[in-house]
Amino acid sequence: MKDNADAGGGVSVGRRGFISGVAGLAAFNIMRPAVALGTEQNSKIELGMIGCGGRGTWIASLFNENGPYQFVACADYFPARAAKFGEKFSIPEDRRFSTMSGAKRLLEGKLDAVVIESPPFLHPEHAADSVAAGKHVFVAKPIAVDVPGCLAFAEAGKRATEKGLVLLVDFQARANPLFREAAKRVQNGDIGKLVCGEAFNHAGGAGPVDVDDSDPEFRLQRWGRYRAMSGDFITEQAVHALDMATWFVDCEPLEAEGRGGRKARLGKGDNYDHFSVRYVFPDDVLLTFSGTQVTRAMPGGYEIAARWFGSRGFVDTLYNGPVSIRGDMPYRGGETGNLYTEGAVANIRDFADLVRAREASNPTVAPSVRSTLVTILGRMAAYRRSAVTWKQMMEEKERLDPGLKGLKA
Amino acid sequence: MRGACFSGGMSARVTAGGRANVRRAWFWVCAGIAWGGAMGWGSAGGDGAAVTNSVGMRLVLVPAGEFRMGSAAGEDGRHEDEMRHVVRLTRGFRIGAMEVTQRQWEAVMGVQSPGKVKGLDLPVTGVGWADAVRFCSKLSEKEGHRYRLPTEAEWEMACRAGSDGAFSGGAADEVAWHVGNSGEAPHPVGGLRPNAWGLHDMHGNAMEWCADWYAERLGREATVDPAGPAQGEARVARGGSFRHTARAARSAARQAITPSYQYDHVGFRVVMECE
Repeated sequence: MKDNADAGGGVSVGRRGFISGVAGLAAFNIMRPAVALGTEQNSKIELGMIGCGGRGTWIASLFNENGPYQFVACADYFPARAAKFGEKFSIPEDRRFSTMSGAKRLLEGKLDAVVIESPPFLHPEHAADSVAAGKHVFVAKPIAVDVPGCLAFAEAGKRATEKGLVLLVDFQARANPLFREAAKRVQNGDIGKLVCGEAFNHAGGAGPVDVDDSDPEFRLQRWGRYRAMSGDFITEQAVHALDMATWFVDCEPLEAEGRGGRKARLGKGDNYDHFSVRYVFPDDVLLTFSGTQVTRAMPGGYEIAARWFGSRGFVDTLYNGPVSIRGDMPYRGGETGNLYTEGAVANIRDFADLVRAREASNPTVAPSVRSTLVTILGRMAAYRRSAVTWKQMMEEKERLDPGLKGLKA
Repeated sequence: MRGACFSGGMSARVTAGGRANVRRAWFWVCAGIAWGGAMGWGSAGGDGAAVTNSVGMRLVLVPAGEFRMGSAAGEDGRHEDEMRHVVRLTRGFRIGAMEVTQRQWEAVMGVQSPGKVKGLDLPVTGVGWADAVRFCSKLSEKEGHRYRLPTEAEWEMACRAGSDGAFSGGAADEVAWHVGNSGEAPHPVGGLRPNAWGLHDMHGNAMEWCADWYAERLGREATVDPAGPAQGEARVARGGSFRHTARAARSAARQAITPSYQYDHVGFRVVMECE
């Protein structure tokens, strides 16, 4: 998948501790941001892009093609990336920001909303900063890479709703009508009592890079190889499959037991190339997860699926394929088509509607936090080669250290 | 309205040979609806203004008015297709206090009800959307009044009966036969607590066909007398069923069903139009 590439986009921002400061602000402060010109009907929604790498540039074009949007500012850790993005989207030179503080400086300017396509470990901080600055937020998955990040993101979501700001997490399957219908039916009982399920997420991995990676800029540029920046691929990529799976069962697992490792992956980095995790949900409902980044020989480049077996039927869903329910209450469903693009486009269109309607209930936040936590639970279990309970994970609040020392402030 | 417009004698019993009586009653019903409409929301209809038709259906008055359709953002079990918005219905209508029973199906259609589980006081199930429409047509011919399926908006307004939460008239277990308390079987209609307007089984028991084609998006703006999209692939069904979880039985929960499907958990109730 495209968002698996190393070209993730560096980015900005100060210390992570900033988030906890935001969390302490007064609750229930219903405060609408000043109505800027850009949010009025018939005028453009002015956007800032945070993260000008491969996916940032790709999705910026989709914004321009699918809504009343105009990019007026951009930020990326690497000046060359910010400059290239700025040229492509006609952003004035004085609104192209770089280094770790670039996003903060971007947020000081006049903007209606930001699009966050930075490396995942920065998402909670960028989201919280943006909400604090009174901006609507469109953010790529995953929403964080560790438990403190998830909690900070959840808090940013709460703050956004209190302030009348839209915070939309760009999960493509959740924007798809076939997936929505299938999820609703399963939650409503159309396949009866859930017995067990399976989810898998297979894709190719990054190619070998055999150079010294002690330079933090090297690592930031190739964040997809490093577990503390990406969350490992179970969080960064397989969150698609585990989000689909947890959507159907609609609750958090009690525990996970896992294994994994790094056997085929060559070159720099510390991400695993395979995970095998068994999740246990309430009532002994089991979910078997398998994820690989072993070979690029996958048909179509990747395969992402979630399937549940119930007492009256089963639901079978592929991210890039058919979605259906078979059994006593069948659902014909259909093919998702090019969900990778179409899901993003659906979310982009929704975002404009939500911003204009000031519909700030932000229903994508809680499920995104939950499914990201599910990936973290599986990762912890696999790293430890043992069972880890949800409670244990939430109590430990393990923080991953991205090793930012040496980067330009 | 109930006291002023419909005195005790207004609950008209309509017999098979009593079309004149029905029409006479109807004048008062319509007058009441018009008056209720002028009064605005809060001038609720309900069981006191009910009539009973030739096959024993009690039909409860729902006056014209406004309500909030869809669910609140934080409602437990909410789905994306329940976008909350204000709907205004400009015409009052009468709606069955119960789901159509197998006894009533047989009385109107002259054949045994199609569902697998038999029982004259059980809701008729195993009927496709067109079967339900056909029942309404036959009942209309029989009585000289216009019966039809409720629109989705009419159904939800009747279900809510002025309430705004997930369930109307009580907690899920008090008002709905759902998979958690039904034994996965239909129950005789009217066995659980009714809502504020005297309607039973709006939540649970049989899922109920509505007239509309299903569209995932409900309007965000106020709409007047909405009747769904002009075309579609699935019809709306409401209220959950004895096979479904309680969340599917919420006032705002919507189901899309291929109209030709004849599920053993899907039935309907009728609306009788004001002439």
